Parts: sequence; structure tokens; C-alpha cells
Amino acid sequence: MRPPTTNVRLDRVASVLVPLALLALAAALAFGPWQFVSPVPAATMVPTWATDPTPVRQPSPRPEVQIGGYTFRCSDCHNLFRSPPETTRQLTQHSHVVLKHGINTRCFNCHHIANRDAFIDDWGQEIPWNEPPRLCAKCHGPVYRDWLHGSHGRSNGYWDTSRGPQERPKCIECHDPHQPPFPPMQPAAPPNTLRMGDQRAGTVHVGVGDPLRVYQQDGASDAREDTQADGSRGGIGGAAQPERATKPQAEPEDQP
Amino acid sequence: MTDAGPPEMTRRGFLRKGAATVAGMSALAAALSPLRDLAPDDVPSIEELLQKHYKEMTPAEKQAVLERIAREVEQRYKVRPTLSDPPPLDGVEFVYGLNISRCIGCRKCVHACVQENNQSRSPEIQYIRVLKMQKGSIDVETSDHHYDPPAVPEHDSYYMPVQCHQCAKPPCVKVCPVEATWQEPDGITVIDYDWCIGCRYCEAACPYWARRFNFAKPELPADQLNPHMAYLSNRPRAKGVMEKCTFCLHRTRRGRLPACVEVCPTGSRKFGNVLDPDSEVAYILRQKRIFVLKQDVGTLPRFFYYFDERGSRYHEPITPVKPRA
Repeated sequence: MRPPTTNVRLDRVASVLVPLALLALAAALAFGPWQFVSPVPAATMVPTWATDPTPVRQPSPRPEVQIGGYTFRCSDCHNLFRSPPETTRQLTQHSHVVLKHGINTRCFNCHHIANRDAFIDDWGQEIPWNEPPRLCAKCHGPVYRDWLHGSHGRSNGYWDTSRGPQERPKCIECHDPHQPPFPPMQPAAPPNTLRMGDQRAGTVHVGVGDPLRVYQQDGASDAREDTQADGSRGGIGGAAQPERATKPQAEPEDQP
Repeated sequence: MTDAGPPEMTRRGFLRKGAATVAGMSALAAALSPLRDLAPDDVPSIEELLQKHYKEMTPAEKQAVLERIAREVEQRYKVRPTLSDPPPLDGVEFVYGLNISRCIGCRKCVHACVQENNQSRSPEIQYIRVLKMQKGSIDVETSDHHYDPPAVPEHDSYYMPVQCHQCAKPPCVKVCPVEATWQEPDGITVIDYDWCIGCRYCEAACPYWARRFNFAKPELPADQLNPHMAYLSNRPRAKGVMEKCTFCLHRTRRGRLPACVEVCPTGSRKFGNVLDPDSEVAYILRQKRIFVLKQDVGTLPRFFYYFDERGSRYHEPITPVKPRA
């Protein structure tokens, strides 16, 4: 008599427990706390300057200056007030001009001494204000040659000029003639993509426990230092090489 | 337990089995509950499932496909796109030149490319990677693309942007098991996003790490959508397909310059038709010192890095390179 009783009791217990367990599972799946947490970061805002194709400078197309709401041509003043012929003295007017152009330290190497609305060429002839490349070509021959052929300087518009115009900005739309090096600028945001993320050994499967772990902004400085120290990542395909990934992470900087 | 005849349905047995059935059904429903989050546009339409390979489509079929995609884009982004399929131009082979004497590493090209080509913003997908290289070295293993100083260029570095090199012998095309990617007559390697099965062989085959995979559903805000699209380039992609730089073929096959060329503030990026001897890129290939990244892998890229003469950057004192430890 004992064994059948046990079987019946087990049967009854199971017939209650199994539906209860299934119901609990159903409730947990439907309303439980296990939400899918995406490893994908929110989109970062890209500032408009990062995608702006206009040249960095907008120099005046005419030899004019704005003073007190009035527009004067350069010659309006300079025909009245003669400048000393060669000068490296501190300027009393145009004090915003800081001349840092290498060994080119004289105003009249470029500006025409008699006609301030023009530049000067190697023979003392005038170069019109709107043709600064001819002036720059006096010294920067190879760059002028490359600019003429299109390998130096910007191009905007159409590569096929039979279909549309191509704009070739002139020298001074990128270079300040008084301080010609292209000015340093803030870089746009670094990548935060899934595959470009931090994939060093030891960082992939720890932390948030996610193989798609993305590059963390706050760990950026660490990542850079390690890249400098052991060069184990960052190269093309380099991140995927296991023998490199298993190298020790932080090597001493002063190793021989 | 011992009855041999047909089982009698008792009241208790009915309730018990009924409860078990209800519980089981609700568990099944709960297990299927993630389907609630499936958006209607995640389910491919019959037309999309029956669509032919790009090269097998007749012009009429292609037009119908363009119409379907335009309709889907409008449904999803509430913007009517101008979707087309510009053919390769006769007598044109595109070549890219990049002046690494001039690149300052500002990454404007990266973001202009994303804006132009409708890449996913979350997760980010970028076709261009700007490598910060150590001066005196051309070792990409020591490069860094996460640099973020207050201002670039840094004095001890130069910058080498890498994107699809549009190889003349593309290994990515060779490995594709379904011919979803191929080289066009103008040199651009393209992908049919509707034919790609997402196996990522091409990503593994590319020595330049130029192909990108949509691991997650691409998120693109509707107000940032570029409505000027082409079938083979910048139409929105789906989750699970590859994508890559196409030299902006929706622009360049109409004579325009790619977005990365137009945005480059230093003019380091040059683009044109190498078959035209008067083009900028033809001049560069003839006159400049050129190098090809990973020349030894034999991919014959159409993407050339070039230099200016030593000393043409007058503001930079030429300093001896420190020997590396």
C-alpha cells in the first residue's frame, strides 16, 4: 500500500508545483527586472563646425578698412601719410597685425610702397589686391606650382568641371599672410564605435560583462598611455591579434 | 493509475490539467513577449524577400525596387528621399590622393562622411579612421585613433586617415560567398545591402579595416537624414549588413567631389579621374612621392598617400628624430 500512496502524493504535489513554477516564470519574464541593456551608447552630438566645408578665413576681397562705420580704401590714408621706407618698428596703426612670417619681417616685401591698394612683385610692379597667389609665389615657388596643379590647397564643388564649377580657395583663405602656418584647431570627437572600442585583453569580458563593451570616455587617457607603452592595439587589425592582446598591459615606461 | 479503459475526466483532473495548460500557455506567451517590441519595418516585405540580385535586375525591376526603398524611407523618417542609381561614368576611374604632410588630424572628414552617408549615429559607424602616427615611423601598430588633445596637430605626431582603398584586386570581393559586393568599372567596390547576408568574411579579408558591420539596428535621427541617396551608397542600411566607403558615388558619379574632400580644412584630400591626364590626381601620381599602405599585400589600392618636399613647411624646424627605445 505504501508505494502507490507516495506516487499519488508526488503526483499531486507536482501537479501544483509545476503550474506554479511555470506561472512564476511567465510573470518573471513578462514583468521581471531582466531588461535587455544595450551596449550601444547614446548618439553624441556633432557640432556644426565639424561638418562645415567653408574655408577657415574670409579675407576682405578689396583693399578696404572699416573705421567708425565708414569704409576707407587703404590708399585714402596712405596717400596722405607716407610711411618710412623700411621699418621693423612697432606699428602705431594696424596694431592687430602681428608679423610672424619667418625671415620676412618687412611690410614692403609684400605691400606696395607707393600704392597701398596693391602688392609688389619682384620688379616693383603692382600685383592687384585680389591676386595674392602671385605675391606668395615670389618665395613659395614649389607650393605655388602645386597649387596651380591642384595638389596643394582646397577644392570644393565639382571634380568634373564640365558638369559644374570648382572653387579653388586662394592662399589667404587658409593662411593668415602675417602668420602663415595653418592654425592648430580643436579636433572633432574621437570614435565611439563598437569595433573601435577598447579591446585590450582583460577589458573585453570584465566590467559590464559585455563582449561588445564600448570605448569608455573616462578611460581614454589610460588607453592612450597603454597604446604608447606597448603598442598592443590601435593598428589596422592589430586589436584582433591574440598574441599581442595577451601581453602585459602596462609596461614600465623606462624600460631599456 | 490502474484503469485500463478510456480515462475518465474527473472534476479535479480537469482543473489540474486546465491549470497546467493555462500556465504553460502563459509561459509561452511570456517567452515570445520580446516580439512586442518588433517594429513593423523590421519585418522584411514580400517584395524585399523576392528581390533579385542587383546585376540581374532589369531597369523596370530596378525602378520598382527604388520606389519600394523610397517608400520605406519615407515611412520611417517622414522624409521623401531622392533615391537613384547613377551608373559608372565612361572613361572614368576614380583615384584618391591624401597629403600626409598637410593632414592635421582634425577628424572633420570623419564626421562629414557620417553626415553625408547616413551612417548609424548609435552605435557610431564611421568609414574613416584617422591614425595618429609617431613621427619618424610608419608603423600602424603604434598608431592611435582615440587621441583627443585640446588642439591638433601635436608636434610629435603626424596623421594618416585610413578608409576604403577601393583596391584594384579587392580581397573583400573575392571572399564574399554570395557576390553581394563587387567592383564597378569606375573602380568603386560597392555592396548590395539587400543581398548581403552579414557573414563578415569581407571585414576579415580587408587589410585596411575599412568595412563596417551593423551589429545593432542603425539609429539615425530623421532630421539628420541626407535625402540625396543612391542604391549602392548612402541609402539607410539594416541591421546585420556590411557597409563601407563608396567614394560618395551618389556625388562623384555626378561630377561632384566627395564630402570628405570638400570639408578638409587643409586641402589634404584630393580626388579625381586618373584617366584624365590633366586631373589633380594624375599630377600627384606623376610628380609627388607616393606611398601605398600595405603595398606588400598586393591589393593595388586606388588610394595614395603623398608627401610634399622636405622643408616646404617652413614653420617646422627640421629636428633629428630621436632613436626609439
